[in-house]
Amino acid sequence: MSKEWFNRMRNKMEDHTEEPPEGLWDDIRKELFDDDQDKLMLPVSEIKAQKKVVSEKGLKNLFYKMSGTAAVLAFIIFGVVKLSEMYKKDNVSIVAKKQEKADTSNQLLNNRLSNNISENKNLSYSEPIISGSNKNFGTSDFLEKIEKYQQEILKPFRSNISENQLDNGLFFPNLSIARHDLVAADFNPETISEETKTLISKDEKTEKKELVKKRTKKAWMLGMLTGSTSQNSAEQFPGYATLNGASMSLSDEIWTAGYQDNPLTAILLANQDKPIDARIKHKIPVTFGLSVYRNLGKRWGIGTGINYTKLSTELRSGSESDYIKSDQSVHYIGIPVQVNYNVIKKGRFTGYVTAGALAEKAVSADIKTKYIVSNEVKEETNEEIDKKPLQFSVNSAVGLQFKIVDKIGVYAEPGVGYHFKDNSTITTVYKDKPFNFNVKFGLRLTID
Amino acid sequence: MELNKEQILIDRLLLKEEAAWKELFEVYSGNLTYVCSRYILDKDNVHDVLQNSFIKMFRSIESFQYRGNGSLRAWMSRIVVNESLTFLKQNSDFKNFVDDSELPDMTMDEEPDLQQIPEAVIMEMIRSLPEGYRTVFNLFVFEEKSHKEIAEVLGIAENSSASQFHRARVTLAQKIKEYKRLKIAQYE
Repeated sequence: MSKEWFNRMRNKMEDHTEEPPEGLWDDIRKELFDDDQDKLMLPVSEIKAQKKVVSEKGLKNLFYKMSGTAAVLAFIIFGVVKLSEMYKKDNVSIVAKKQEKADTSNQLLNNRLSNNISENKNLSYSEPIISGSNKNFGTSDFLEKIEKYQQEILKPFRSNISENQLDNGLFFPNLSIARHDLVAADFNPETISEETKTLISKDEKTEKKELVKKRTKKAWMLGMLTGSTSQNSAEQFPGYATLNGASMSLSDEIWTAGYQDNPLTAILLANQDKPIDARIKHKIPVTFGLSVYRNLGKRWGIGTGINYTKLSTELRSGSESDYIKSDQSVHYIGIPVQVNYNVIKKGRFTGYVTAGALAEKAVSADIKTKYIVSNEVKEETNEEIDKKPLQFSVNSAVGLQFKIVDKIGVYAEPGVGYHFKDNSTITTVYKDKPFNFNVKFGLRLTID
Repeated sequence: MELNKEQILIDRLLLKEEAAWKELFEVYSGNLTYVCSRYILDKDNVHDVLQNSFIKMFRSIESFQYRGNGSLRAWMSRIVVNESLTFLKQNSDFKNFVDDSELPDMTMDEEPDLQQIPEAVIMEMIRSLPEGYRTVFNLFVFEEKSHKEIAEVLGIAENSSASQFHRARVTLAQKIKEYKRLKIAQYE
């Protein structure tokens, strides 16, 4: 075996190939190209496009933009509050009216948006099919749905991307909104009508559009979420009750006030020989939020933001025809602090755990009470609650993020939360069920 | 000067374009898998070493200098071989490879004809060599290293490299002979 022989062997084997290990490219790609994107998820081209706009039109326009932003935010808050009233009234005609309003406002805000509205409608209309067939879904089910959904949605997007960068920003929100709606429909299929859903999506879309504008070029990630606890709560007990859960002291009132014109007395008298009970029903909390998120190294990240939560509680006390009905709404504005830890990255998916605390301040709280005697509303009172408690809670969740394209991901976070006692007399679902399970959904963009 | 296809690909690699790296992977991964599998038997380990190699290439592509066709492949092979050796050194001790078992008497006068042996069979023969033999054999034959260089890289004595190589080629020649004998037996 001479040198010559070895040369022949080398030459013979030079172009030999073996089957590369399975999944090797995926792992390499993940290692080389995913990491960069975790640090920057905002499409760079989009920033560029916005910068251009800003520099071209100058400061004056920036001012208009900012006031426009404020107006839109005000509109969103207004929309959310109105919307929550609608839930209670379940009044379709009002919803339709509001929707008209929303339409025109949106058009004023941006003509471009109108193109997307039609797209958005298409999306919304396909939802009931999904939600209808899938009311009791597990998380895995849901993720499957998301994936299917994405396949559909991504198709048009891919063609869009090259055409107009700015439209991308608008297109994406639709995608996530559709998902929010899907969620909302699953949680509360009866109460949210088709029109309301469309309205929500418009509100959110405007909100997100603003997000696109407001994003800075700092290494922050902006996201928005909406979520809802998985349970509502109802309790029932015999006797009359007030919203702080205590039984009324009845004995005195019955015998001292002997006249029918006092609705409370009337109810009490009418129910003298009937079985009576009190039912407290907490509606599902509704949360919307905006968040900023920053990566600290490869695996850790922290986030904060602002949340709005509405809690509604309904009390019905009395018999079938004669009763007292109270509706309490408490609106909270909260500031969360979250720490994320990325556990695993596999292709487009990122699995992470998150834990954090949330401080929520009740900004407005009121109780509307109706006295109903023989199915007629005899008296209505509206009482503002002066004490506005500060509510603290801690939460932890596991999250799964799916990267739709390079810099944009949607996530689902099933988790648990615990609400501390707030030393107030207001009865809320937080107090009734301090420990709850919840699921949050949102859209996340990372910026370099 | 007109850039050839490979130079265009290198320019794109320098821009860290994902599509370009995928292309590189698709073109060369088969051959590099072969290079790596010559050193490392376990499939999962081959996977890991190749992954590290590509990461290394990605990070050091700036230092690559184009010297005509084939230089890209040679550069990549070098990285894979280095990574393979690093892996082997972490996971085994070459100093313990000196095997004193009796070598069968064998004359080296005949040079088996490689033409009739399929590549896959040669590959299997190389892979069936004990790790120490195999590593030295690979470096000497395929990487064209001298025993001095091999001894340095593996941290063994120079004569130890030579003796390992000797054992490797005796074993290999035996295997080739055996293969031919079976082949002939088949035909008869």
